[in-house]
Amino acid sequence: MDTLLLARLQFATTTSIHFLFVVVTLGLVTLLVGMQTAWFLTGNPKWERLTRFWGQLYVINYVLGIATGIVMEFQFGLNWSGLSRYVGNVFGAPLAIETLVAFFLESTFLGMWIFGWHRLRRGVHLALLWGVALTAYASAFWIMVANAWLQNPVGYEVRDGIAHLTDFGALLTNPTFGMAFGHVVAAALLTGGILMAAVSAWHLLRRTPDFALFRTSLRLGLVTAAGAVTLVQGFGFAQFGPIGQVQPTKFGGSPAADALVAEWTARFGPGDYTPPALASVGLGFMILIGFTLGAVWLLLPLLWRDWIIRLRFPLWLTMLALPLPFVAVILGWIAREVGRQPWVAYGLLPTEQAVSRVDPGLMLASLIGFSLLLGALAVTNWTLLARHAARGAADPALGRPPGTPDDEPRPAPAFA
Amino acid sequence: MELAWYALLGLFFASYLVLGGYDYGVGLLLARGGPATRRAGLTALGPFFLGNEVWLVAFVGILFGAFPTLEGELLSGFYPVVVGALVGVILVTVGVQLRSRPRSAAARAGWDRVVVVGSALAAFGWGGLLGGLLQGVPLHADGHVAGVTHLATPFAAATGLAMLALVAAHGATFLTLRLPAADAAALGRLAGRLVPVAVVAVVAATALGLLSDRVRATVQQPTAAVLLPSALVTALLVARAALARRRPGVAFAATGAALALPVALVGATLWPAVLVSTVDPAATLTVAEAAASGPTLRLLGWLTIPLLPALLGFQAMCWWVFRGRTDGRAPVYW
Ligand code: HDD
Ligand code: HEM
Ligand code: HEM
Repeated sequence: MDTLLLARLQFATTTSIHFLFVVVTLGLVTLLVGMQTAWFLTGNPKWERLTRFWGQLYVINYVLGIATGIVMEFQFGLNWSGLSRYVGNVFGAPLAIETLVAFFLESTFLGMWIFGWHRLRRGVHLALLWGVALTAYASAFWIMVANAWLQNPVGYEVRDGIAHLTDFGALLTNPTFGMAFGHVVAAALLTGGILMAAVSAWHLLRRTPDFALFRTSLRLGLVTAAGAVTLVQGFGFAQFGPIGQVQPTKFGGSPAADALVAEWTARFGPGDYTPPALASVGLGFMILIGFTLGAVWLLLPLLWRDWIIRLRFPLWLTMLALPLPFVAVILGWIAREVGRQPWVAYGLLPTEQAVSRVDPGLMLASLIGFSLLLGALAVTNWTLLARHAARGAADPALGRPPGTPDDEPRPAPAFA
Repeated sequence: MELAWYALLGLFFASYLVLGGYDYGVGLLLARGGPATRRAGLTALGPFFLGNEVWLVAFVGILFGAFPTLEGELLSGFYPVVVGALVGVILVTVGVQLRSRPRSAAARAGWDRVVVVGSALAAFGWGGLLGGLLQGVPLHADGHVAGVTHLATPFAAATGLAMLALVAAHGATFLTLRLPAADAAALGRLAGRLVPVAVVAVVAATALGLLSDRVRATVQQPTAAVLLPSALVTALLVARAALARRRPGVAFAATGAALALPVALVGATLWPAVLVSTVDPAATLTVAEAAASGPTLRLLGWLTIPLLPALLGFQAMCWWVFRGRTDGRAPVYW
């Protein structure tokens, strides 16, 4: 196995895991902002309990977002040192801005939000959550600017074999950015909405206590998902225009693609300039899922007089839908990232030139190590999430008044 | 302009070592005591934990944005230590945040062990990286570092161990400052015992460095190479004295300085280089060569410098809101 393949596999694995978590972060935080704001405005304790329950799941989910995100960040330097050498002047800027403008504040705010219940004034505490949400969106914004640049390099000139930044504005108006950002944000909202609806549906089916609470979050989740799925479809189809123009080779043959391949052959020498078919397959299944989830709209009329709960089978459908958005986001990224092969920066830097010259054995060890570590952590995290989701809203640790006896362990069950 | 960015880069890494350092120190100390002791340590860390680690994230961001060439060569040239430290950081991040989510004592104890291992890996890895920088790397003119065996030296191991000892002493000092007064005395004694260990480790690493041809050949500024380790030892002695006089605030400032100084040491002794090549003097990478080109630095400057006060302000807000010793009313979450 060569280093290049291993590095690509490692990138694909770790980013996919990262994205499965951040997509939930981005979706849930938006809903949380709504719930805590409602609590602030109405003072109704129902909203506080909702915020604590969903906030607890949000915070658990967040852990792996951070852990995998740190791996992503280091991976550029570890495995893709050619990327920083040749295009770092341009591609590095949005990433640097992201860490300073977004992550730095996001984590600081989140720490204060978790520990600030009962200690900070309610307005300040709410403002912190708004801060977390805004910086989360800012981070998605800048990371998508960076990714869009790899899809379609703009605003640079090459001197001495290295790309230099000439026009930062062009990075922001990149045709591969706008619609993709809208699509990703809408996909996050859709995922968050479906997750909220599915967990609520489970509680309603099991007839656990807190009927009123889960009824509210079921409605909130479904309405959000319905709005978001329409946006996902709109932004999704809107991407085809710009992609066809700037990345003709992405989704298969056309005269423009042939012309581009001829040009590349002249400039970079002969080679295989068509991406693997995997890209188009991923795209097809994602669109299928997109239309399937569009059926959320059919459930909305059933919210009237709680028919959705009385009939029960719509609750089952909602639960069954839970894996779909997760599958779709991964397929979508595969379409986008595999579709740009064999380039790291489309038409500018071939993937094989970007990879670090690290020994394949070392790369294999780190691939296996990180995949096992992050995979195990991801599964653990989902198990904990499922348990906390099932435990219900009676007394989440998040926002528990200080001084109340902690759930510090009862004696452990004896195994031996 | 490169110098300003280089200083900022150093500031972020040093701040990470100071702040993340006590996370790892407290993490290491989870190896001792029963559930109540460990719970107290984690509660003391509580609100600061997320805000500490983010200095590392920002450091890598600046590294990538402002020093792209350095980023690629530094991280890939030190592959095993960086990966080791990274695994440590991940284990600590996940362990601390998830350990209290399961309710059984056994599961919590298991996570605590994960945190101990992670803290040790992280401290050892970053220490080894700093040591590795001081002993130079087999950097070739085409900008890639050959192999990884250059890392396996007694000096790099000694700097790793020194960082481990520093972090443990710093963590114990942090707890002395932060735990309820009743528990603080015992930790003060523990810190008082750990600081001399750190002194020995630092002195041993310095001695190994002075004996090593590679380190002597790599050092560009001998004055800094002598002054800064002395300053480090002085800071530790101040910490020891302050602990004996029950001045945990002063002691914490001193151990904090001791964690920031290694970064200054590496930056100043190598200046004007950042990565010194052991195989080809012409391949040595200087700060100016490592930096991004003018337009990128200017852009980053315009966007981030006005923001720095906000970044520091919100961090300061976090310290202020949750200042003082923990007590029965301290929020418990981790
Ligand atoms: C909930 C998830 C989800 C759903 C239901 C859909 N998508 Fe999507 N799609 C994504 C989540 C996503 C994504 C993971 O967020 C991607 C990856 C990169 C990006 O910009 O968004 C993506 C990429 C992506 C791309 C590739 C962009 C590129 O290669 O540069 C296209 C053309 C579409 N989508 C189009 C659609 C259409 C027409 C859909 C349905 C009608 C659809 N997507 C449903
Ligand atoms: C938005 C930020 C992202 C950036 C900057 C980015 C950048 C990169 C880079 C540098 C590579 C390696 C070089 C290459 O193979 O072309 C890569 C590959 C890949 N990425 Fe991304 N990526 C991003 C997001 C994602 C996400 C969220 C996923 C989720 C699934 C993803 C999936 C993949 C896959 C599957 C590959 C391997 C493609 C292949 O080598 O065939 N990417 N990406
Ligand atoms: C491949 C490129 C990527 C890199 C290098 C990267 C890096 C990171 C890092 C370092 C963190 C942790 C920050 C912290 O400590 O708080 C993080 C978290 C996050 N990332 Fe990524 N990321 C990438 C892709 C993406 C994509 C494609 C998105 C969404 C569109 C995204 C959205 C987020 C969000 C919202 C968070 C914060 C929430 C959380 O930690 O769960 N990232 N990322």
